[in-house]
Order: sequence, then structure tokens, then C-alpha cells
Amino acid sequence: MTATQALQGWLELEHESVWLFPVIGAQFEQLAERARRSHDAHLRTRDHLLSRLQVLDIEPVPAKLSYAVGSLRTPEQAIRLARRLEQAVAAACLTFAGETSDQDDQKYAVKLLRRAAEAELTWGGRPRAFPGLPSQP
Amino acid sequence: MISRRALLGTGAATTVAAAALGGAALTHRLDDIARSVGIKPHPEPDPSDSRLLARVAADQNSLLAMVEATAGAHPALSLDRYVSISTSHATAVGVAGSVPDVASPSTDPTTAVSALSSAYAKAARTRAGDAVEAVSPALVRVLASMSAGLFQCADAIKGVR
Repeated sequence: MTATQALQGWLELEHESVWLFPVIGAQFEQLAERARRSHDAHLRTRDHLLSRLQVLDIEPVPAKLSYAVGSLRTPEQAIRLARRLEQAVAAACLTFAGETSDQDDQKYAVKLLRRAAEAELTWGGRPRAFPGLPSQP
Repeated sequence: MISRRALLGTGAATTVAAAALGGAALTHRLDDIARSVGIKPHPEPDPSDSRLLARVAADQNSLLAMVEATAGAHPALSLDRYVSISTSHATAVGVAGSVPDVASPSTDPTTAVSALSSAYAKAARTRAGDAVEAVSPALVRVLASMSAGLFQCADAIKGVR
């Protein structure tokens, strides 16, 4: 995998996050505030990644109209989906951190990995030794 | 999860005094780290990674000693998960051959937990900086991930009663 592919993979997940969290907030009032904070954070990250790709003169992967996230009928399902998405974002940040040779990009990825790991907790996750790495319980 | 004391008992522990890890030893260590967390090893260790790894190992072993001491002093607190995570971190970078000296934890559980949270947060910030300093992509990823896990611990442990 190249750094560009890793960056695009991360952007795909940010697109999905920007789509998912308003859906969660709209469907479950008790999750609305949490979803709004998550959406705001992912919106900032998505815009940063889009800017970065623009600077690199790389066509960014586009957002989809909607995402097949599975059943979203209960708050518990919504929380689980949100947590899994944050885990996937953490993995994408980590992949990019290991692939890029640009130190500023690496610092940004490490910073956003922390955000994703902490967000995982706000969506019902428990601390793990190595968030974002494969084979972690 | 095998505890550090159990590891020491088996003689399988590596010593942090291998701070002077040579090239071949460092290659093995980085390979072990990469494999232990599911990353394909990258067989080109950099000398600066050797020094970094030794410092990280010393730090993480001190933190583990602090967590174990607090868990021992306050058995009513549910710190098993934190002992397990800190053991995983120390195991990944090299388990100390002897238990590092740490200050006795506070007899007040709330103060003791607060001290652990601060220690986790400090280690998390340091590991984030270490990740950017590392040369090996495997070490970058392990340290960045370790930092994120430490930040999770710093947050979550505040809820331990």
C-alpha cells in the first residue's frame, strides 16, 4: 500500500462518518448530541484530508450518496456501528502514519488516531492495548 | 494474558538492560514487535530506533510497575484490565528483568487512580512523540497505537471506583 492509497482509504471512512453520524443523531434523540460532536470532528478531518490531497494534486475519492451500514433500528445498533466506524478510522490513521514519509502528515495521523481511540470510548468501547492494529480484542 | 511476574518466572523475559541492543538483537526485537501486533516485519533497523526502543521499554516497565503496585495496594479497584494492557505494552517492547522502583501508591483510592490517569496521559503524550521520531514503519505504528491505547487508559481509568 502506498501513502496515497492509505490517505484515500482514510478519506473514504471520513466520508462515511460525515454521512453516518447525522443519520444516528436524527434517528435517536438520546444520541443526538454525541453524534453531533462526532460529526463535527469528522467534518474537520474530511476537509483537512481533501485539502491535503488537493495540495498533492491528487483526485480525492468521492463520497457516496449513502452507505450500506446494516440495520440501524435501535440505539444499541447505532452505538455499535459508531464504535466500529471509529475503530476503522483508527486503523486507517495508523496505516497512513506508517506509510507516509511526511512528518507533518505523520503527526496529524497520530493526533487523529488519538481522537478516534477516545471516540471509541465515548461510543461504548473499552480501552485496548493497541487501538488500530490488527488482531486486537 | 501472562503477567510480568509470571514471565520473569519462566525466564522468558528480556531485560531492559539490553538498552544496548545490538543490530541483530534489535532486528529480532522489531520483528517480534511487528509480529506480535500483526504487522509484517520490516528487516532494516535504524540505530536510533535501538535507543528509542530502550527508552520506551524503560518507561513502559515503570508504568507497569506503578499499575501493578496500585492494583496490589487497592484490590477492590478493578484494575485487571489496566494491568493486562500495560503488560501487553511492556511485553511488546521488552519486559524488564527486574521490577523497577516506583513510589508507593497513595492509600486513598481516588488519589491513586488519579495518579495512574496522569501517568497514563504523560506516557501517551510521550509515545505519540516517539512514534513520529521512530524510523521503522512497524515501530511508528506500534508506538502510535500504544499512545492511543494509553490515552484510552488515561480517560477510562477515571471511571474506576
